[in-house]
Amino acid sequence: MNMNTSENVLKGTRILVGKPGLDGHDIGAKIIALALRNAGAEVIYTGLRRSPEQIARVAVDEGVNAIGLSILSGSHKELVPDVMERLRAAGLGGVAVFVGGTIPLEDQPYLKEVGVTDIFTADMPLADVVSSIARTLA
Amino acid sequence: MSLEPLNRYALGQKLTQLASADPLTFVQDGAGLDHSGARRVALTGAPGAGKSSLLAQLVGLRSQTGNRLGILAIDPSSPKNGGAILGDRIRMDDLEENDNIYIRSLGSRTAGDGLADNLYEMMNTMDEHHFDEVFVETVGVGQVGYGARELVDTVVLVVIPESGDMVQAMKSGISEMADIIVVNKADLPGARKMLNDINHIASVNPSCSDDNSWVTPVMLVSNKSPDYVAELSRNIDAHQAFIAGQQTGRARKVARARYRLQQVVDQQLAKLISQTSDEFFAAPLNRQVSTILAQLHDFQTIQTGDTS
Ligand SMILES: Nc1nc2c(ncn2[C@@H]2O[C@H](COP(=O)(O)OP(=O)(O)OP(=O)(O)O)[C@@H](O)[C@H]2O)c(=O)[nH]1
Ligand SMILES: [Mg+2]
Repeated sequence: MNMNTSENVLKGTRILVGKPGLDGHDIGAKIIALALRNAGAEVIYTGLRRSPEQIARVAVDEGVNAIGLSILSGSHKELVPDVMERLRAAGLGGVAVFVGGTIPLEDQPYLKEVGVTDIFTADMPLADVVSSIARTLA
Repeated sequence: MSLEPLNRYALGQKLTQLASADPLTFVQDGAGLDHSGARRVALTGAPGAGKSSLLAQLVGLRSQTGNRLGILAIDPSSPKNGGAILGDRIRMDDLEENDNIYIRSLGSRTAGDGLADNLYEMMNTMDEHHFDEVFVETVGVGQVGYGARELVDTVVLVVIPESGDMVQAMKSGISEMADIIVVNKADLPGARKMLNDINHIASVNPSCSDDNSWVTPVMLVSNKSPDYVAELSRNIDAHQAFIAGQQTGRARKVARARYRLQQVVDQQLAKLISQTSDEFFAAPLNRQVSTILAQLHDFQTIQTGDTS
């Protein structure tokens, strides 16, 4: 997929980049946010240490088309299903959710099982992350 | 206070749809002109002046009445790819738990006046959801735009000490365009001097000599002290009371509808003119005008599918 296609698909889409849990730094989330912005998306960035409840509320209020959760703390197996459940309850069950950060390979099937569309690890090229999201929203 | 609970889901979805919609597809009629709407306040001022931080404090304070309060916070969209980082709400964490407060981030999209595409319709949608007050944070531009002036009741200009935007302020005639001027970050050096300078400039403005007109208050504000924000809040109330005595709600709405019509027609004309070939300009100007106006008519007919 070339950059142009990503750009066209993401133009005008609204993507929430959120950091649930107690992570202390967010450079990775910010870099993803910037890459999505450069591909034409409107990125709503929540800042650090948000609860699943807060992330779901922001997603509802902002009428987002997709959500990216960045988690480094190792609590993904608790945080992700919690966010998913709240999104469903709020009527956003159809919104694609992506997870990035330090997610061990063996946990990925579980996250997919609870409804995550795709999982990004730190070593993945940014262009691949953007095109995966673009493909999903196409 | 509103009776039915806020439908955050419906509002969130509707605003997303409006952000990308073509204004010519809007079918809203003039019925809303007679309904009372939210009080509207805009905060405008240079990038980083502290608009979001101040709005968080102001809305936090005003929410104590139990009113339904909305924030539409606009950040710039890239002219190159249309993308945007919408980060104003990071400063508003404290408001997120409050069920009577709704915060929405908007990209400016193609709007060049510090506002966002279809903001007129978005504000009307806020009225349909029975907000008592709606606050707009404009993109950080040095001057108060005409659009904000038209679409809201009370315009608050936020300036910061030593920002060097005094000449800018003089050029744009700040006290004509702003209803309240705040010198923010009053905890920083130079704030009081800035306040005095602005007061001097404002004193030579003709509107001050007219007894019937609003005299723009100039005041200090800082996020280090809540007292300042309480005073700003009182000034906003005073200005709202002032305009309520000047103009009916309906008159204000008609003025906004007139502004919106002008804006949409301008956009359509700009689109048609940008599509002309070089040869088009060989015709005399009056022919160029009549051709474009005829195209505008045809264009409208095609858009609406109206064949009569
Ligand atoms: N010293 C001081 N700093 C402040 C004050 N208010 C805000 N700031 C800081 O100013 C910076 C910008 O604040 P924002 O509220 O994001 O400013 P803004 O005008 O909304 O910025 P844009 O939306 O990017 O144009 C932040 O680092 C704030 O912490 C204040 O009263 N005093
Ligand atoms: Mg801001």
